[in-house]
Amino acid sequence: MSARVEGAIGALYPFLDTQPTDVDAVLAAVARSTAEKAAEIVALRESLVAGHGQRLLDCARQCAAAFQAGGTLFAFGNGGSGTDAQDIAQLFLHPPTAARPLPAISLTQDVALITALSNDVGFEVVFARQVAAFGRTGDIAVGLSTSGGSNNVLRAFGEAARRGMLTVGIAGYDGGRMAESDEIDYLFVVPSASVHRVQEAQTTLYHVLWELTQQALAEEF
Amino acid sequence: MPSSVFPAVQRAFARRVAPGESLAGDAARIARACHEMAVRFHRGGKLIVFGNGGPATDAQHVVVEFVHPVIVGKRALPAISLTNDAASLTGIAQAEGFDEVFAAQLRLLAAPEDIALGLSVDGRCTNVRHGLMAARDLGLLTVGLLGADGGDIARDAVADHVVVARTDDPCIVKEVHVTIYHILWELVHVFFEQPGLLEPEAVR
Repeated sequence: MSARVEGAIGALYPFLDTQPTDVDAVLAAVARSTAEKAAEIVALRESLVAGHGQRLLDCARQCAAAFQAGGTLFAFGNGGSGTDAQDIAQLFLHPPTAARPLPAISLTQDVALITALSNDVGFEVVFARQVAAFGRTGDIAVGLSTSGGSNNVLRAFGEAARRGMLTVGIAGYDGGRMAESDEIDYLFVVPSASVHRVQEAQTTLYHVLWELTQQALAEEF
Repeated sequence: MPSSVFPAVQRAFARRVAPGESLAGDAARIARACHEMAVRFHRGGKLIVFGNGGPATDAQHVVVEFVHPVIVGKRALPAISLTNDAASLTGIAQAEGFDEVFAAQLRLLAAPEDIALGLSVDGRCTNVRHGLMAARDLGLLTVGLLGADGGDIARDAVADHVVVARTDDPCIVKEVHVTIYHILWELVHVFFEQPGLLEPEAVR
């Protein structure tokens, strides 16, 4: 009944080969691994303060200035990062706590528009075309890509930069092509080899950016 | 550079440490839930996910994790979010009330072998509660990812498994939830791929 568990999960959980039918042993082992992951994400988050602290403050001040001048925030990304874009939009637009509601739109939620652009032109333009249609000088573009290499995210930053928007990127690993781009004013990179820990820390980064933007609007720093 | 140079940033990150660490205390609970979820997938069940606002985006994120795994070679497992379709949501809300938007979809889309996963940052979302109750009536395995004190959903044991991110800050609740559902996905695959831990039924 025993079979070798291969691949990434087999490597992460080597005990799987030795006690294939002992449910309690597996439950205990995966519980230990969960505790280790909790410690890992706590440490990863704390490591971001030194590297990103000053730029988070600077970026929040510029976002606050953009909103005060009547700007709108546009967020975009693919897959899990697409859901982050929607989370960013609803967080700014409809804060869960006492805070100032701010105009924000996710470019990931209109399936008619996204399928039309993909079908007629190509998936690489789904965000750039929307930025071209909606974006004005002084607006804010927030793009997320765990790899830093999403073509459609990079194309949207190009369009946003041409239009004089404030551009904010959130990426993982080494930042990929987003780290090489001169079209992103503020880039926040989460240096982890785990895509899951990257996503978790990216969530914290945009939450903190929102908190700091609210504080900057209230002139608290 | 010492992080105290940025007190506002330092404060924001410091508030996240204790809720993040406390997740370790839920490790055994999460492992048990994942084992039962794997059994459901093994029986041919699907995962049905729902929540409001930020948690609606989490519902969609969970679906991406299961249907389109980031780790090459992991099999796709069936999962749907009840938050995607604005036409259905507004139609049900208009006709039956917003409290019924998830329960009404579950009654039509769910099968007894399925899993219902409801997310609520304070455990006080009536439509999530009704969704979990409808799911339980239909025989589904029910799981709640909650926050704050767990609200009435935790108090009344509406779900078979509940994990609570114990912080009153809804943003931090979400951050803990993201880690939890990443772990849910990973551990479901651990159990799912391990011979001998599941029932002998064939995978559909």
